[in-house]
Amino acid sequence: MKRKFTCIVCPNGCEIEADIEKDQVVSITGQGCPRGRQYVLQELTAPARTIASSVLVRGGVLPVASVRLTKPVPKDMIFHVMDAIRNVVLTAPVSAGTVVLRGVCGTDSDVIVTKNVPAA
Amino acid sequence: MIAEKEFCADTELIRKDAVIIGAGPAGLAAAVQLYKQGIRDLVILEREEEPGGILRQCIHDGFGLGRFGESLSGPEYARIFIDEVEKLGIPYETGAAVTRLTKDRLVQAVTRKGLRTYQAKAVILAMGCKERTRGALGIPGERPAGVFTAGTAQAYMNLYNRMPGREVVILGSGDIGMIMARRLTLEGAHVQAVLEIMPYPAGLPRNILQCLDDYNIPLYLRHTVTCIHGKSRLTGVTAAQVDGQRRPIPGTEKEYSCDTLILSVGLIPENKLLEDAGIVIDPKTHGAVVDENLQTSIPGVFSAGNVLHVHDLVDFVSLEAEALARHAAEYIQKGDVPHCGLDILCGDGIGHTVPQKVSGERNFNLSLRVRKPMRGCRIVVRQNGREAAVKTMKKAIPAEMIQFQVPAGKLDRSGALEVSAEEL
Amino acid sequence: MKKQYDVIIIGAGVVGSAIARELSRYVLDIAVLEKNPDVCNETSGRNSAVVHGGFANPTGSLKARCCAWGNRIMDQLAAELDFPFKRCGKVLVGNTEEDRQQLEKTMRQGAVNGCSGLEMIDGRKLHELVPAVNGSFALWSKRSGIMDPFLYTTALAENAHANGAEFYFEHEVTGISREDGYYYLHTMRGDFKTRWVVNAAGLGAKQISDLLGIKGYRVIGSRSNYIILHKRMGRLLPMPVYPVPSNTYMGIHITPTVDGNVTIGPDAENTDVLDDYSVPQGAVTFLATEGAKLWPHINPADQIRTFAGIQPKLVDENGAIQDWKVEIRDDTAPNAVNLIGIESPGLTGSVPLARYVIRMMQERETFRENPAFNPVHKGIVRFFACTKEEQEKLIRSNPDYGEIICSCEEITKAEILQAIHNPLGVSTMTGIKYRTRAMMGGCQGGFCQAKIEQLIERELGKDPADVVYSRSGSYVVTGPMRKENENDR
Repeated sequence: MKRKFTCIVCPNGCEIEADIEKDQVVSITGQGCPRGRQYVLQELTAPARTIASSVLVRGGVLPVASVRLTKPVPKDMIFHVMDAIRNVVLTAPVSAGTVVLRGVCGTDSDVIVTKNVPAA
Repeated sequence: MIAEKEFCADTELIRKDAVIIGAGPAGLAAAVQLYKQGIRDLVILEREEEPGGILRQCIHDGFGLGRFGESLSGPEYARIFIDEVEKLGIPYETGAAVTRLTKDRLVQAVTRKGLRTYQAKAVILAMGCKERTRGALGIPGERPAGVFTAGTAQAYMNLYNRMPGREVVILGSGDIGMIMARRLTLEGAHVQAVLEIMPYPAGLPRNILQCLDDYNIPLYLRHTVTCIHGKSRLTGVTAAQVDGQRRPIPGTEKEYSCDTLILSVGLIPENKLLEDAGIVIDPKTHGAVVDENLQTSIPGVFSAGNVLHVHDLVDFVSLEAEALARHAAEYIQKGDVPHCGLDILCGDGIGHTVPQKVSGERNFNLSLRVRKPMRGCRIVVRQNGREAAVKTMKKAIPAEMIQFQVPAGKLDRSGALEVSAEEL
Repeated sequence: MKKQYDVIIIGAGVVGSAIARELSRYVLDIAVLEKNPDVCNETSGRNSAVVHGGFANPTGSLKARCCAWGNRIMDQLAAELDFPFKRCGKVLVGNTEEDRQQLEKTMRQGAVNGCSGLEMIDGRKLHELVPAVNGSFALWSKRSGIMDPFLYTTALAENAHANGAEFYFEHEVTGISREDGYYYLHTMRGDFKTRWVVNAAGLGAKQISDLLGIKGYRVIGSRSNYIILHKRMGRLLPMPVYPVPSNTYMGIHITPTVDGNVTIGPDAENTDVLDDYSVPQGAVTFLATEGAKLWPHINPADQIRTFAGIQPKLVDENGAIQDWKVEIRDDTAPNAVNLIGIESPGLTGSVPLARYVIRMMQERETFRENPAFNPVHKGIVRFFACTKEEQEKLIRSNPDYGEIICSCEEITKAEILQAIHNPLGVSTMTGIKYRTRAMMGGCQGGFCQAKIEQLIERELGKDPADVVYSRSGSYVVTGPMRKENENDR
């Protein structure tokens, strides 16, 4: 069976085709770089994604600070991760790089702040 | 009388080698590169209260893969350049909105401390772009609240902590529109559909997958919004399929009940200052016509980034701004850059090119977009009936800017260049 | 407890506001009840914004008289009330012998109506005045002009307010009764008691007339669509360009606005629906095509917005359009001034019409002059329209003038704050927009609307979900995205 993938590792968005027989990957073609092969293998076994969001900041020049995941998390964990992020409240000043949730929801990914928010 | 004196002092011309308008990714990269080229007498003027440009609100990741080899958020990507600017001690002024630019390279900025007038040897235009609006599309119907451009909705959420709506339809499959589809979904809104009038998506394939498919948001190609409903807040939209001429097909109408319509229908260079200054504008890019030095029709005025032509990746914006800086530095140091008398024309299948003029004497970087998706094609640059450069591509889509070097070796000193895309 | 007034005016369009302002010259307790959240929300603000000469209406009609009079006093009004007005003139262009005859007839009618500055000009002169216009000759009306209807109406209303008149927005009159020489006006937000009623309800005037017991009028709506072009096009159009008029319809014309945009319209169509401002699919293409016949610079890329307006037209049993009806029926509704079918040229003729109304009232009651009346109103100082020296001075006196919020139109924070704290207490986004021009440029608020929404929240202490775009219920955002203890909800 052939399955088609759009690689999301980089903006090139390579169209990759995987030939699968009895749960075994026979061949992977179309990727522009080795990361494409890795992506497809991951996609076949345990699809993972990163997300970006915001957390509340008390007393800052902005009411929220942006955050992101440091590593992809299993796709089906995304809404659990969002619930965790929604509960975070920081107090200004906040600096980019600060880990606000380590190993969020038992994954190996951290939630980090991506923007400085000085105190108002 | 004292006030009078102060006023005179305030309005004195401030002389600078380079004045950069805009502290977004283009302006910041240009500043750093100018500094590295030895131009130290420069200033960046930014209308917002902090540098970073539109990246301040682009909190999703995917920036900097090309340049830094990692997937950063917009604010992090901008921070790298801001840190560099600050480390080098390059002066920048925020809350400084440039309102005038003249042919003599006078730049006037409005600040809370008063007006500033700069006399620049070189002016760097790096103001970015704005979004096409409902009015520009002329979507029929009423004018309720709840119709946002994608960037406005993004600002509400990512800068001001406000939720634009709950039941959402998105018109246009631009990247920001798709990214907002995911963002809204993660925040508990229900995105019912993304409608795209063209037969192919406007944004990158990866965003279709990770922003729409992952969340089961349907993308309808060859569809548009034909009517907007609601006297106060939006109550719904009528959508329909369109024919080959993009006209709605009667009988295909479908009603969506929603409180929010997000428009992601294209970006246009922020060219108001250019128009006021009388800079020649390319009707295809809506940005300035530039030569291979990224110099506009006014000598000493240079342009790069989204104010020149809309890019899909910030990494390319930075690269273009750095190229600009090298040319602008040459201009500042030598008082001129090589004359560019050869036109570049858009042939079959090419939407636009940047630059639009070259000298024929130097290698130059050509950026372009194709008009329709193609599998297997050659992008050919011809001059005087001969092929001067060719790039072969496995696929080419309008959503992706194509860039390559055109070597001067095969160019004549006269004769326009024509670029075309040939499907194999 | 009912609020009691000497005069209540129903409707805060240009006519209601003009009547309020002219009445505030007298010692009277005046209130204006308006169903919308701001002045000038309907017919008054949805038109070509032209100050007419008065030549196009039948001689002797109230329309012709008020229009010619209004044209004559517009400079003085603009000086007193501080609103944008340009006496730029206009041309009505023709090509055929039939056109010429019609234009000459219009010119003769104008002369009798008391209009000055009318002249037939040849093609050369025409193209000198307006380059690129399609026409072989024209009637040039030198005293026609353009204005900002919203700022004019706001100025009238704010001046009335400064002289004591009270404005109640979102107060729709749903019932009227009369007892012991007083009218009782019922609204969803309480009742009002008054000795005099003025029905200046525009599109709603027939309903109010019915409530007053004056029945039998036939009013139809004439619905028009317009396109607005980018400011870059205004530089090419020094004055309005009209086709040859008929007695009932001015035709699709191309008009510069005082701010440098260009409008194209109207494509008048009769309707019974008086509250539908949606612009239909075909209208835009039709207007662009028809407009280009007159003036070729019409390009879809320059289009920034569309809008629609509806004019109430009083018609007879044959459907023929009638003159404005202004009456006091001493038998059925004493002390009630009834204005029906107030359409174009209502903008130009508004103050004369107001004075006409007051004269009718004074035939029945003597009003004492208000010695404290001040005719002068100052609008918000517009930063972009100032000289460099004035701009420096403004910023020095108020640094908020040095902070530009709307880049497209160069509108500063100082102007937006003044608009947010406007004397009439209007708190909508469109209220800010029309008072300042913020959000009216090329990006249509893309960059500044969120900032302005934030300023409204902060300055007026509003909850996010309570900030409205225009009408009630037109909330801009649904609320905060993140709240503390959100998962506990």
